[in-house]
Amino acid sequence: MQRVDNWVTRFEEGVLAFLLAAMTIVSFTQVVARYGFNSGWTGALEFTRILFAWLILFGMSYGVKIGSHLGVDAVIRLLPKRLFRAVAVFGALCGVVYAGTLLYSEWLHIFGLNTRGGAIDYWSKMYKIGIGLDDLRYPDYVIENFGTKERVQRWIAYLILPVGLALFMFRCIQAAWQIITGEREMMIAAHEAEELVAENKDVLKD
Amino acid sequence: MEAAILFIMVLGLLFLGVPIAISLGLSSVMAIVFFSTDSISSVALQLFTASQNYTLLAIPFFILASAFMSTGGVARRIIRFAIACVGHVRGGLAIAAVFSCMLFAALSGSSPATVVAIGTIAIAGMRQVGYTKEFAAGVIANAGTLGILIPPSIVMVVYAAATDVSVGRMFLAGVIPGLVAGLMLMIAIYVNARIKNMPKQPFAGIGEISRAAGEAGFGLLLIVIILGGIYGGVFTPTEAAAVAAVYSFLIAIFIYRDMGPLKDVPMRKDGEGLASAIVRNIVLTVIYFVPGCFHKDTKKVLTDAAKTTIMLMFIIVNAMLFAHVLTSERIPQAITDWMIGAGFNWFTFLIAVNLLLLLGGQFMEPSGLLLIVAPVVFPIAIELGVDPVHLGIIMVVNMEIGMITPPIGLNLFVTSGITGMSLIQVVRASAPFVLILFMFLILVTYVPGLSTWLPYSLMGPEIITNR
Repeated sequence: MQRVDNWVTRFEEGVLAFLLAAMTIVSFTQVVARYGFNSGWTGALEFTRILFAWLILFGMSYGVKIGSHLGVDAVIRLLPKRLFRAVAVFGALCGVVYAGTLLYSEWLHIFGLNTRGGAIDYWSKMYKIGIGLDDLRYPDYVIENFGTKERVQRWIAYLILPVGLALFMFRCIQAAWQIITGEREMMIAAHEAEELVAENKDVLKD
Repeated sequence: MEAAILFIMVLGLLFLGVPIAISLGLSSVMAIVFFSTDSISSVALQLFTASQNYTLLAIPFFILASAFMSTGGVARRIIRFAIACVGHVRGGLAIAAVFSCMLFAALSGSSPATVVAIGTIAIAGMRQVGYTKEFAAGVIANAGTLGILIPPSIVMVVYAAATDVSVGRMFLAGVIPGLVAGLMLMIAIYVNARIKNMPKQPFAGIGEISRAAGEAGFGLLLIVIILGGIYGGVFTPTEAAAVAAVYSFLIAIFIYRDMGPLKDVPMRKDGEGLASAIVRNIVLTVIYFVPGCFHKDTKKVLTDAAKTTIMLMFIIVNAMLFAHVLTSERIPQAITDWMIGAGFNWFTFLIAVNLLLLLGGQFMEPSGLLLIVAPVVFPIAIELGVDPVHLGIIMVVNMEIGMITPPIGLNLFVTSGITGMSLIQVVRASAPFVLILFMFLILVTYVPGLSTWLPYSLMGPEIITNR
């Protein structure tokens, strides 16, 4: 189990590093191509933006896993221990409700609310219509050999929306469970430099 | 009514320890579920389209550049240069520490990173020559906040994205206030040093200054590339950020060599001729170029930068969702009408903005707070004739002060963490300098020329597109 866990972490970190590196390299080569060779790739900007969206939407669940999402812990730290744990579980469950509603809002019908739509609904609509993105085209040899459409379909880019939200929901449920069993204290990081401070803890203490 | 429920829900969730991003996102989703007939599909799609904002695309690149530059080695070079320049003045090491923080801020843009990188070296050095630990910690905690005022600054990018002000003008607008804030801190230290007769270093000599400048120069060229490129119209801020990221990768791996495959390989061996050193280094760079790209240190920096980007962007995306709900409920207009009806003029309005931001800065992450406050405050400011770039600088300075005032001041936590002093001790140590920053805030608020002169004389006046 531990081995699978390490493997998953390495996979997640690898994907995130790759997405960021790809964004940077594409943007940089665009600048060089424009000034150096007076040329460029029309789909570059759209491609970079999609990578950026994938970075955020794929990474948000990883953020829950490593507990890097910021929050205010000053108030709940004053609570008695058992209440603190209950509130911490509540925090994780808020994440579940958030992702769940964005994924498939019709579950709120059980409360008699009249909602519709959600990421899954939107994505399947896009899949059915099959329209393409604005600038991002398949290379010619792909069109010839695989008989694809000229432009890359929108549903491919939007795939990360339901997937990312589902992963986020899963990680929040996992966090709630870990808090209940006492493996984890809470969902949030109190400030953005926690890791940095931990690395340099008391280096200047007498 | 809906506005009140919305704000109460956000604050309630925030204080119950729900992550900031989810507090904002969940409240917005609930507001749409209960008060509007919009489909949730369009809300979910917003998560995707928020990241399509061209200005915000600069953020991951700046974070990456900063991650490559925030190493101890870069800090050491900058401190050496700063000490060579101003160390011989009375109180010189403390003044040099402020100077180092200003220079480092131009490379890293992150306050906690500045405090850790400069602080770990400078505080130890200051104590050796006889400064008290409290004084040293106070200086660093305050000077570290300059990170978000001196360009490139992520908070400024966020402000520009929220209000459609140009990033280039915001960056240039931060230059003079950044210098003024640094100078004010330095003068305070100098006066203090005169009174208490604090130590000074011997003058290092012109040779040492130029050698140190040569070493630090490779890093400091980054800010020249960014500002020069944007101002010269060579590239957009987003492209400048991408170029900066690649440049700092090359400098970190192949010139400074604090990480990567060439770590601890000297640029020039003892007794090696200049020509052979140049040839050897070029050959090394070519051979190790591909390994450098895939080295584990490079991957670690990329992963760290990705983590920071995600943490920040997840808040930003949800804050944009929240701002969208605010606007669709016409809340900014209601507040504008109320404020103008209540007889606010630009003078009292700016006091109100400062108070609001100082209060909000205690609990919220700067970028998120900015995205929520800006859509509300911006239309009023334009109505009252406040300059948009000036307003942005005021907001940034407020965020700075929020970092060093209790209860939740990021730099206080960081300083307390690295020095082993208690939070109360750090608060007391930094208090005198916080007063100076407050004076600086008043100065910036009521002297608009400080912020607007440089960008407007170089790039022309800002055209307000977002009313």
